[in-house]
Amino acid sequence: MNEIEQFLAAAAGKVAVKVGEDITVRVDLAMGHDVTAPLALAPFDAIGVSKVFDTGKVVFILDHTYPAPTVQARQCHNEMRDFAQRYGFRLFDKGEGVCHQLLSEEFALPRGSVLVGADSHTCTAGAYGVLAFGVGSTELAAAMATGTLDIEVPPAEAIYLDGVLAPGVYAKDVVLRLIGTFGTGGFTDKAVIFCGSWVRQASLAEKMTISNMAIEMGAMLSYFSQESDPGTVAHRFDVAEFVPLLACPPTPANVRPVAELAGLPVTQVVIGSCTNGRLADMREAAAVFRTARVHEGVNCIVLPASRRVAEAMEQEGLTAIFLQAGAVVTNPGCGPCYGGHMGLVAADDVVVSTTNRNFPGRMGAKEARIYLASPRTAAEAAAAGMIALPGTAAGLGGE
Amino acid sequence: MAEELVYSGRVWLFGDSVDTDQILPGYAMSYPREQLRSCVMAGSTRQNFAAEVRPGDIIVAGGNFGYGSSREQAPLALKDAGVALIIAASFGRIFRRNAINIGLAVLQAQTGGQVQDGDIITADIRSGQVVLPDRSIINGQAPGENVIAVLAAGGLINKVRLQLAKERG
Repeated sequence: MNEIEQFLAAAAGKVAVKVGEDITVRVDLAMGHDVTAPLALAPFDAIGVSKVFDTGKVVFILDHTYPAPTVQARQCHNEMRDFAQRYGFRLFDKGEGVCHQLLSEEFALPRGSVLVGADSHTCTAGAYGVLAFGVGSTELAAAMATGTLDIEVPPAEAIYLDGVLAPGVYAKDVVLRLIGTFGTGGFTDKAVIFCGSWVRQASLAEKMTISNMAIEMGAMLSYFSQESDPGTVAHRFDVAEFVPLLACPPTPANVRPVAELAGLPVTQVVIGSCTNGRLADMREAAAVFRTARVHEGVNCIVLPASRRVAEAMEQEGLTAIFLQAGAVVTNPGCGPCYGGHMGLVAADDVVVSTTNRNFPGRMGAKEARIYLASPRTAAEAAAAGMIALPGTAAGLGGE
Repeated sequence: MAEELVYSGRVWLFGDSVDTDQILPGYAMSYPREQLRSCVMAGSTRQNFAAEVRPGDIIVAGGNFGYGSSREQAPLALKDAGVALIIAASFGRIFRRNAINIGLAVLQAQTGGQVQDGDIITADIRSGQVVLPDRSIINGQAPGENVIAVLAAGGLINKVRLQLAKERG
């Protein structure tokens, strides 16, 4: 058995599992947020249990619509608050951060834990070895009641990332390259195991950026291995060959080199989110604004992934750099990433964003064009008012 | 009949890669459930869908239908709009599970070029067979027992409720 199968067997109380086998695993944490949890409340009540399976293992987080942009969103928050109080489990309701970042900061889930999250980017936690299943509201409700999840054991494939990245190339470029290679359905119903020499030296922030977008290849599970040979089908890459990339409309798999699109005018830039809103990302972006300002034709929105990140940005002076350059720094949350609030776009907008999806209509009007990129590439676009290579506004490597 | 998991209806044809945000855009996420159906497929190429879809209609699509977000509002909006069944060459995993969990039937089948928009077709989920207007048959992928059990119960919540009641004796 590979590492994932060993953990799944343990979580199912079995000696061994095999690919395709239907199993029921115990859940170590169940999470819902303010878009998915409201639809889980009535189904949970309909199940007819008097309590959640473990009050320490269920959590709700307000991140997608916080502070509430509409009366209805506020109503959803209030219903979630009442529910969490009634059943006695924790609610993060002060804008503490995007669920995936917050889970990594607040819950020390050990390697091999089972996380059930009602959000497709729950796979982010695979960066630190958690078996993280993205589900919908009804499956969350069932997990909250039973403390279990029914799944089939997925076939696994390994992605080996070896070598050293060139200056101006980041974890985001790595994952965009992979999505471009395998497509949006490349690993549907499969598990992806990341390994190789680059992975072994990568920071947690870098691994989270990549794991976050595993769902954009359709993956059921993303798992960052500590072993050198997971013993599965292997895809090998030398990351030294990778270049700065953009995912062009209309999917994250439509990937082209930044160099090919340099000069394309841009009207909005979003830097942050659960994909690229950690301190290291903010440092990369701020490096551009130490000397450059946000271009007059661009709205630049900076979206820290959590309050801890926002506090560290303040302490390092990064927030002041962004503000003085003409960017807006929002509260931690999801807002513009999914077109919820705080930065929707119109039909004629062209967006460069460090977020994870560029589907038609993702950020507002379905005609708007969204390009996904690394924080450095996004910041360069904000400064130049057009797509530009990392290193255009300021030199790379060393601040 | 739902228990028999056999569906006959009029086809709405879609192509490959209809993502969740096309099925239901982000701005609709905090709408009350009654309103979801009014913007179903708002981001897709078929702008008349929400206005013209009828109860019992069947969506027939290409690959990777519903890939992307975990938003259960997407299959709920389709179900509330009257869609009885979605047939696609392949599905995004979370969408497929969400649809089954709310009792919206899905069937994986390669229909490429054989089904026309507006056709009346019949599909049997248990066997995976799709019968076309000319009586020809496409063999789709019959789902496993777990999926059949959830659909036959009318959704995951009913199944879990029955299961827990049984365990309590």
